[in-house]
Amino acid sequence: MFVARSIAADHKDLIHDVSYDFHGRRMATCSSDQSMKVWDKGGNAEWNCTASWKTHSGSVWRVTWAHPEFGQVLASCSFDRTAIVWEEIVGESNDKQRGQSHWIKRTTLVDSRTSVTDVKFAPKHMGLMLTTCSADGVVRIYEAPDVMNLSQWSLQHEISSKLSCSCISWNPSSSRAHAPMIAVGSDDSNVTYGGKVQIYEYNEVTRKYAKAETLMTVTDAVHDIAFAPNLGRSFHVLAIATKDVRIFKLVPLRKDSSSSAPTKFEVQVLAQFDSHNSQVWRVSWNITSTLLASSGDDGCVRLWKANYMDNWKCTGILKGDGSPVSGQPGALSGILGSATAQIIAQKH
Amino acid sequence: MSSGYKPDILWSPHHADRYVICDTELSLYRIGPAGSSETKAGALPLSEETAATLLAINSDTPYMKCVAWYPKQEPECLLAVGQANGRVVLTSLGQSHNSKSVPAEKVRLSGDVDSGLVVTKPLYELGQNDACLSLCWLPRDHQKLLLAGMHRNLAIFDLRNTSQKTFVNTKAIQGVTVDPHFQDRVASFFEGQVAIWDLRKFEKPVFTLTEQSKPLTKVAWCRTRMGLLATLTRDSNIIRLYDMQHTPMPFGDEVEPTIIERSVQPCSESIISSFAWHPSAQNRMVVVSPNRVMNDFTVFERISLAWSSTTALMWACGRHLYECAEDAGQGVAATEKDIATKMRERAQLRYGHDTMQVWRNHMLAGGDDPQLRSLWYTLHYILHCSYTENVEQKQQSNKQSLIYSGIKNIVKSSSGTTETRHCWSGSDRQTDVPRYHSEERSLALQLCGWISRGPDIDVEPFLKSLEQEGERERAAAVALFNLDIRRAIQILNKGASAEKGDLNLTVVAMALSGYTDEKNSLWREMCSSLRLQLKKPYLCIMFAFLTSEPGAYDAVLYESRVAVRDRVAFACMFLNDAQLPRYIDKLTNEMKEAGNLEGILLTGLTKDGVDLMESYVDRTGDVQTASFCMLKGSPGEVLKDPRVQCWIENYRNLLDAWRFWHKRAEFDIHRSKLDPSSKPLAQVFVSCNFCGKSISYSCSAMPHQGRGFSQYGVSGSPTKSKVTSCPGCRKPLPRCALCLMNMGTPVSSCPGTGKADEKADLTRDKKLAQFNNWFTWCHNCRHGGHAGHMLSWFRDHSECPVSACTCKCMQLDTTGNLVPSDSV
Repeated sequence: MFVARSIAADHKDLIHDVSYDFHGRRMATCSSDQSMKVWDKGGNAEWNCTASWKTHSGSVWRVTWAHPEFGQVLASCSFDRTAIVWEEIVGESNDKQRGQSHWIKRTTLVDSRTSVTDVKFAPKHMGLMLTTCSADGVVRIYEAPDVMNLSQWSLQHEISSKLSCSCISWNPSSSRAHAPMIAVGSDDSNVTYGGKVQIYEYNEVTRKYAKAETLMTVTDAVHDIAFAPNLGRSFHVLAIATKDVRIFKLVPLRKDSSSSAPTKFEVQVLAQFDSHNSQVWRVSWNITSTLLASSGDDGCVRLWKANYMDNWKCTGILKGDGSPVSGQPGALSGILGSATAQIIAQKH
Repeated sequence: MSSGYKPDILWSPHHADRYVICDTELSLYRIGPAGSSETKAGALPLSEETAATLLAINSDTPYMKCVAWYPKQEPECLLAVGQANGRVVLTSLGQSHNSKSVPAEKVRLSGDVDSGLVVTKPLYELGQNDACLSLCWLPRDHQKLLLAGMHRNLAIFDLRNTSQKTFVNTKAIQGVTVDPHFQDRVASFFEGQVAIWDLRKFEKPVFTLTEQSKPLTKVAWCRTRMGLLATLTRDSNIIRLYDMQHTPMPFGDEVEPTIIERSVQPCSESIISSFAWHPSAQNRMVVVSPNRVMNDFTVFERISLAWSSTTALMWACGRHLYECAEDAGQGVAATEKDIATKMRERAQLRYGHDTMQVWRNHMLAGGDDPQLRSLWYTLHYILHCSYTENVEQKQQSNKQSLIYSGIKNIVKSSSGTTETRHCWSGSDRQTDVPRYHSEERSLALQLCGWISRGPDIDVEPFLKSLEQEGERERAAAVALFNLDIRRAIQILNKGASAEKGDLNLTVVAMALSGYTDEKNSLWREMCSSLRLQLKKPYLCIMFAFLTSEPGAYDAVLYESRVAVRDRVAFACMFLNDAQLPRYIDKLTNEMKEAGNLEGILLTGLTKDGVDLMESYVDRTGDVQTASFCMLKGSPGEVLKDPRVQCWIENYRNLLDAWRFWHKRAEFDIHRSKLDPSSKPLAQVFVSCNFCGKSISYSCSAMPHQGRGFSQYGVSGSPTKSKVTSCPGCRKPLPRCALCLMNMGTPVSSCPGTGKADEKADLTRDKKLAQFNNWFTWCHNCRHGGHAGHMLSWFRDHSECPVSACTCKCMQLDTTGNLVPSDSV
């Protein structure tokens, strides 16, 4: 059962992204007001804003946390063509600012010539690596060779996807059987340009990222993309926010390890839902990838859950303002619960 | 009413609750909450919450082409109307309605606001026969009126000096509108194309939006959001929204701004005639259809969302944040809970940690999952068998590994099977049912839990335990399969009397007692047809067994509602050496494919078992069960399987993310018992300042403890009486920053800690471990002392206790300040 409650965010413009840290005890938000805020969960489960500062000279699109093993590190990307790495420091605050933490800019990545649309840290086992993608269609992978010195980042790879990029997602699998893999989504709305989701895989032999797969069936603009936490499964699941919610299953076909060709996948569509009626903006997986949340132009947040037969069903709907969907008084309760669909007739 | 004229809608710039609808006349409406006392009976519902009331109508100005509202507070409700005959008229609306509408030809504004409006002479008259297509006021300078006319011109007129005007030649002359947040930005349109202008560089449009197939009818900037433009095309039910990210000045010229395009359907399928943004309410608009049906509508922002590791959902809608936290333990049936929730609950109940009574782990998992129940019983029997084998026949190591390898491999290795024909006990008739025996088959039966051990089959203890658990049908079936009809009937009768006259069981008992092994009897005929109507699977297979030909037991073997372990035990008793492996193989593959944990009985903890577990994990994501199950296996090959290692790593990672650090540590301890290779090496050594040797080196002579130095300083041990100096060079150890004693001394209770709870804390600490005596030091400033002293210091201070050291030792590590969530 879920209970929605509102938090006074106090941003002066649209909030574009919200991101939890590894433990779910800290949260970062970024906004069109060019600022970022960091929130800490207090003992009474209330969120307290412990830092708020101007970060970029444009809308801040995305914010993401590094794994805590690298320290308290955030990365943000913006319309101002940059991505910035932030680190929290302790020790310079005086008593007046008690309870406020300090985030300092460790580096500004200025390689993009257009708006940087997404930023993500690579999975922990790959070391401290940061990926950005930009509207000019380039995915850049940076590495901090010395995790103690976050002001030095070297550009390791540049992947040109040839389509305006809107989102990236790393495959979180830490299994040695799976090579590092990244999915890139494009918001180019021209249907004739073909598949808008490309999957790149690292090749140990060539030491480069090579395209392993293009999802040709996704031809509309893609707004968000998310690999499901793998959790030791033998396949990968990818959720895509485009004109509908789509869930793909990528089953790696066995290959001999000596070959340098990228892994081939058997691609299956597990689910496709157009109940947001129009564009879907975001998708997010829970920690076991058994629940998917999506948001769309109908102003609703929808929750999806699969039964054991891989049948995905809508298990909950919440309005964007936290109010229950009309005619669905029970929509709030049992969201995690019943596998029966609670799809409502769209009001408008 | 509106022949040819489609209604347009315009919001008052000063009254957030008023707007005007204009088609052939101007109608002023007030918007309010539905059902309130304010709204009269004649109110028109706009949405579930809001309704509109008609305040005034003005039909003085026919042939309206376009309307604009005077943007200053006074005079109230002054509207500029562009007419089809090319004239601009100022008119008013409102409660007073003292018709300030003026003769069409002669319009002038007096410079003095106080004196009101006086009409003297025409201000401006556009080219003789041209209609004015759109007009708007410039908010920056209220004396300027921006007009768009024919002759393909956009023009700015200065009302104070009519000769001053700025022209630009363009086709995009319709629907001129100024961005309320960026007052030099103007939008206008032509056919399906929207042009965005910058008044400071009025020569050409800054950019144009992608062309629509149908001609546009309305373009409007959102009043509450920066750079949000809404457009509407003719005969459409969709409003398109363009979210323009305003370009920072330095590179404003070259770069086209990023535009995020969206579309909304305010009134589902019905056509929209026009719309107007609410002046203050976030993203709200009123939409009007051709037949004047109005609709109050809010455009939702793009919602971004994220799950936390503890299954809380946070989303941002507009400028607001919403958190949807899981309300723990509220009514949701256990079977419907998400696996993440289940694993967390199970971890807290120490699921998997019961190594003495292994079967009890399924109770810790909630006790409601038949597959987990079967799995843990299987593991229980495996461990039990291997233990007894171990005790009795220490030399037979291959048998040991056979137990772990599952019934599939056990029956394969079967040899020396003997066939016997038993009597039905309680009758002297010889049965023609052959039963097979071998050492391996007995072992299989032990793993199934039917017999405890030894070659002779005595199921009586098993029957008793089943009866105790209330599984009477199952007990009866097992008794029957052991050719003891009398016992089966007795069990059923007992069940019938216990369960308040379950007639079903009595009837079945009666039916059983009539058993005859004559092939063509009426009994056989009826039983084999009627048994299909029995709902309880175990009753069903009892009659299936009695009515089957010997060796043809498919009705028993493939009854999927019957537990795998019972079917396998049955097969081990009644299938011959040719049939048995075939059946077991088939069943194993079925189980592997389905990821059914009951199949672990067949596969054992072998590579096959890992395959089965893999499809279970693929299906459920339950790495917790997978990790614990594989850790129960015989040390060796399965634990080295990369898939198993991967599940274990993933499970540990989950525990870490949930801050179940204590549980993770317990898991690691549990794991290192079975897999010594997983034990991490010692992480820290303390070396002496003088000789550089590790001060714990002397401890390494003792049984290795992993953290030998921690025991250092524990008083009372005779071998370590001199503990304040380096065991290598006998130089003193560093002093504690607080008590200034050399470390290694037993800690005295902290000075200045008068609080009772603190004392209680410390005594409890002392009882559990000598933690107070541990060395601790700050990695940053390298000052330190006794852990107990340090802890009590940092309860009240944020800076290091060493004079002139301003290091905030305790705050350096944010993760260190997190509290494990499983400690309480």
